[in-house]
Amino acid sequence: MKLNVDGLLVYFPYDYIYPEQFSYMLELKRALDAKGHCLLEMPSGTGKTTTLLSLIVAYMKAHPLDLTKLVYCSRTVPEIEKVMEELRKLMNYYEKEMGMEQNILGLALSSRKNLCIHPSVSKEREGKVVDGRCYSLTASFVRARHAADDAVPICEFYEGFDAHGKEFPLPPGVYNLDDLKEYGQTKRWCPYFLARHTITHANIVVYSYHYLLDPKIAEVVSKEISKSSVVVFDEAHNIDNVCIDSMSVKITKRLLDKCSNSITILETTISNMKENDSKRLEKEYKRLVEGLRDATIARETDMALVNPVLPSEILEEAVPGTIRTAEHFVAFLKRVVEYIKTRLRVQHVVQESPAGFLRDIHTKVCIDRKPLRFTAERLASLIRTLEISDLTDFSPLVTVSHFATLVSTYTKGFTIIIEPFEDRAPTVSNPILYFSCLDSSIAIKPVFNRFQTVVITSGTLSPLDMYPKILDFHPVIMTSFTMTLARPCILPMIVSKGNDQVAMSSRYETREDTAVIRNYGNLLVEVAAAVPDGIVCFFTSYLYLETIVSSWYDQGIIDQLQRHKLLFIETQDAAETSLALINYIKACDNGRGAVLLSVARGKVSEGIDFDHHLGRAVLMFGIPYVYTQSRILRARLEYLRDQFQIRENDFLTFDAMRHAAQCLGRCMRGKTDYGIMVLADKRFSRADKRSKLPKWIQEHLKDTNCNLSTEECVQICKRWLRQMAQPFSREDQLGISLLTLEQLQSEEMQKKIQQRAQGV
Amino acid sequence: MEDYQTCPKCKTTKYRNPAMVLMVNACGHALCESCVELLFAKGSGACPECKCPLRRNNFRVQLFEDPAVDKEVDIRKRILKEFNKRQEDFPTLREYNDYLEEVETIIFNLVFDIDPAGTNKMIDNYKKENKDITQKNRNRQSQEEMELEELLEAEKAQQSEKANLYVNAELEEKKQKHKAREKLIDELMFSDADAKSIVASHVQATAALAKEQPKAAAQPSSGVVKSSKFSSGVQIGLRGQHTNSFLPIPKQEDLPLYRYTAPVFDYDGPPPPAIEKLGKLNYFANIRAANITERAGGYTEAMSCCRALQEALGGLFYSPQLTHKTAVLATNSSTQDTDDMETT
Repeated sequence: MKLNVDGLLVYFPYDYIYPEQFSYMLELKRALDAKGHCLLEMPSGTGKTTTLLSLIVAYMKAHPLDLTKLVYCSRTVPEIEKVMEELRKLMNYYEKEMGMEQNILGLALSSRKNLCIHPSVSKEREGKVVDGRCYSLTASFVRARHAADDAVPICEFYEGFDAHGKEFPLPPGVYNLDDLKEYGQTKRWCPYFLARHTITHANIVVYSYHYLLDPKIAEVVSKEISKSSVVVFDEAHNIDNVCIDSMSVKITKRLLDKCSNSITILETTISNMKENDSKRLEKEYKRLVEGLRDATIARETDMALVNPVLPSEILEEAVPGTIRTAEHFVAFLKRVVEYIKTRLRVQHVVQESPAGFLRDIHTKVCIDRKPLRFTAERLASLIRTLEISDLTDFSPLVTVSHFATLVSTYTKGFTIIIEPFEDRAPTVSNPILYFSCLDSSIAIKPVFNRFQTVVITSGTLSPLDMYPKILDFHPVIMTSFTMTLARPCILPMIVSKGNDQVAMSSRYETREDTAVIRNYGNLLVEVAAAVPDGIVCFFTSYLYLETIVSSWYDQGIIDQLQRHKLLFIETQDAAETSLALINYIKACDNGRGAVLLSVARGKVSEGIDFDHHLGRAVLMFGIPYVYTQSRILRARLEYLRDQFQIRENDFLTFDAMRHAAQCLGRCMRGKTDYGIMVLADKRFSRADKRSKLPKWIQEHLKDTNCNLSTEECVQICKRWLRQMAQPFSREDQLGISLLTLEQLQSEEMQKKIQQRAQGV
Repeated sequence: MEDYQTCPKCKTTKYRNPAMVLMVNACGHALCESCVELLFAKGSGACPECKCPLRRNNFRVQLFEDPAVDKEVDIRKRILKEFNKRQEDFPTLREYNDYLEEVETIIFNLVFDIDPAGTNKMIDNYKKENKDITQKNRNRQSQEEMELEELLEAEKAQQSEKANLYVNAELEEKKQKHKAREKLIDELMFSDADAKSIVASHVQATAALAKEQPKAAAQPSSGVVKSSKFSSGVQIGLRGQHTNSFLPIPKQEDLPLYRYTAPVFDYDGPPPPAIEKLGKLNYFANIRAANITERAGGYTEAMSCCRALQEALGGLFYSPQLTHKTAVLATNSSTQDTDDMETT
């Protein structure tokens, strides 16, 4: 249908629209008009993706000068594919309505692993190996060598792309990963490089977070995206953690040993080259003396080594004299690695600021800050000069060089923690150096500064005001939308006590209490008896899950449970978990019914949907707080408190509740779906926890359902399930939670939508 | 799996003897402590590996896994004591970088025994030439070091301050909560008011308190000075921008515009002729004309003549009563009533 959103003609590819989708468009349009950033929360299953795409495409069509590009960031490959499907639907609709080819080019980008069509390289399983092998076939010097000697293998697809692909732009249309591969096969062009080349002039780009947030990758891939773009981060509730991970470095003893090996390789290569071909080293040396930036850096295939964020004025400067010649630099690297090795030889945990580390490295091995800052850049240059084609071995050394560069560049917002052993195994020596980023705003700041509009959206972003604080930006729009429903199809309940009136809680003090564990077990058994099909349970940690299951086994609860449903458990092993998932789905599909025990923050809680019969009930056993004794977390909490005035407890609760909301949201994937949400912990009913749940859940959480016992909970479930089991057709929804164009345009509905927009 | 440190002489490993300590000397070869005691009982001897003469006093505990690095660091420390020029001592960055590379080459040569004679000569030459600068720089910290020290101190200060602050704040909060609860119970026990209204007012009061709390927590931290100039020049977050911004220019209040009015002189006598007319009226006939040097400064005879005339004519009409009245009139004409009083 064609909509009029605040004066903008929007083509919406469906015949019906949800009212919240329309309000979402209104808010989004306002943000685009204001050229500011926005934060939008809308429940999952209400068609966020379509809404976003149709509005932004319409906006691009209406204001081609103000908005040139849409960059859509998602988390996983399946999610990227889903977005591409929606986009294709939208484009088809445009074509049908306008009756001609649309001049819009949309494409998905993923790693080489997902896009490679080289017959042998594409067989590799690991992403790193594919990258390394691709580099060894396409690097500029390999190709130069090939020109001299035909025996040197190269990639024919890259050659094809290089020879012809750059002149012929990709014809307009929508390309997902498979389409790109197919197009590459027919033309004999490399799809990966084709996609990367096309990014600069495509209208819509869909790729993973890392291409924008990880400074090492963003530098190469997303450098040329213009300012007048809109960037969308979908499923962004964990965006702060992604930012932090992209700037953090972890160094283990094994990694350092590998570094020593690669340094030896470097040494021998240098001495060989000195004997045979000293000209190249001299050339590099001269360039470094002149302080010229590497000219070859622009060559797109030599991307494997890129330095982390450095201010541009440093990049312009010449490399300091101490590390100018290759031998000196290798000796320098050796000292750095040896120094870090001595630091790892500790008996107790050490926490240090970057400034302290710099001072110590200066006194111990006489390394100044400035050469340290150039380490990553210099290493990249050296590897390029030495023409080392197998990069996979060098990744540990690259990691250390990144660490050196980061530690000497940023003195604020980072901390160094050296742990001699893991907390769980204090007798096994396993020293690890964590260089941990504490400030999630550092990595995302360039994105906010560079693009005119950044949209952060997810099904669960509550409490909204936390995100601007921890990401340090000023949104122009910050809105949470609820779901309009024709029937109360979610039933959130807080169960705080068992039938014996013993309070249920995963508090540390009561964790081992058999009464609590038994009450949790009874709750699950009774719910399993009352609820049809699939039930998903979430525990706070793997450890907790294991202890509870083992004591349930002793108490005979597992036997009772298996009388009603089959039981599956998520483990830390990915393959095992996916097998359990497949069988769980099978059991639900054939009507046997099943229970899946899994862990909040685990693989199941993020990204796997249990729609309809796959998840009729979600049980949350306890509040999923993070492991608060972790030193990295402690350091981060302290930093948040000092820099952003966020109190420790506030952040911990915020973090726990966003994960709880994620888990609960698993069972609701649309308006025809229905599901029970049981929060089994006394503490959930406190105001500070309850108020942090997303609005669309809070709305349905009545005061009477906030302090239930097991028996009451089951009673309510039974009544509600009977109600939900009644036939429910589209006609029931129409006019309330589903609108036709006429209904949308009716004055009454417009008024309602206006009210809703203002009410939040 | 891990290859343990081994003494090359007696083959003891760290695994078999956890107390074993490896030592290194100037040549960069390791020996365990007991071997050192055994071989160097006389105070000096030859290295068992490279046969170079060593003193026992020079043995130190091996710090790094690779003894060669220990050796290099030793040499480096020695050399850098002499070669301690700073960037400030050079006119351009390029020259400084060249100097750095030269130092690095010297160290590299010493470590790998390349051309020892030439290198030592170079060092001696340098020592002679740069005695003054070396001496001066020894007592001076480089800018970078100073920055680091400053930063560390700031961190320390901030940490202790913060720790105290938050502990106090938390204690205070707890106390307040406790007090509020006790007050509520007291009121419920002893007052005659409706229990519901008491509870309601209590809830209101705690809500108001909770609102205040975050503000109170926010205040103290603003007192800590943030040094944003140091870290790479990239300011972290938006906070940096506020500290740099200019204060807005204070806005002027809306006053009426200034307008010039010519001053009125009261001579109390006949008006003197205007300065331009003096020449025409032939006043200059009786006074000395200004010479060239006087005219150069802009002086003319008209000035002194005019001054003299003003002085001569001024005050001729003076009479005590009259001046009193005019003075009053001139100063404040607004105070009419006092004026009337005096005339009457």
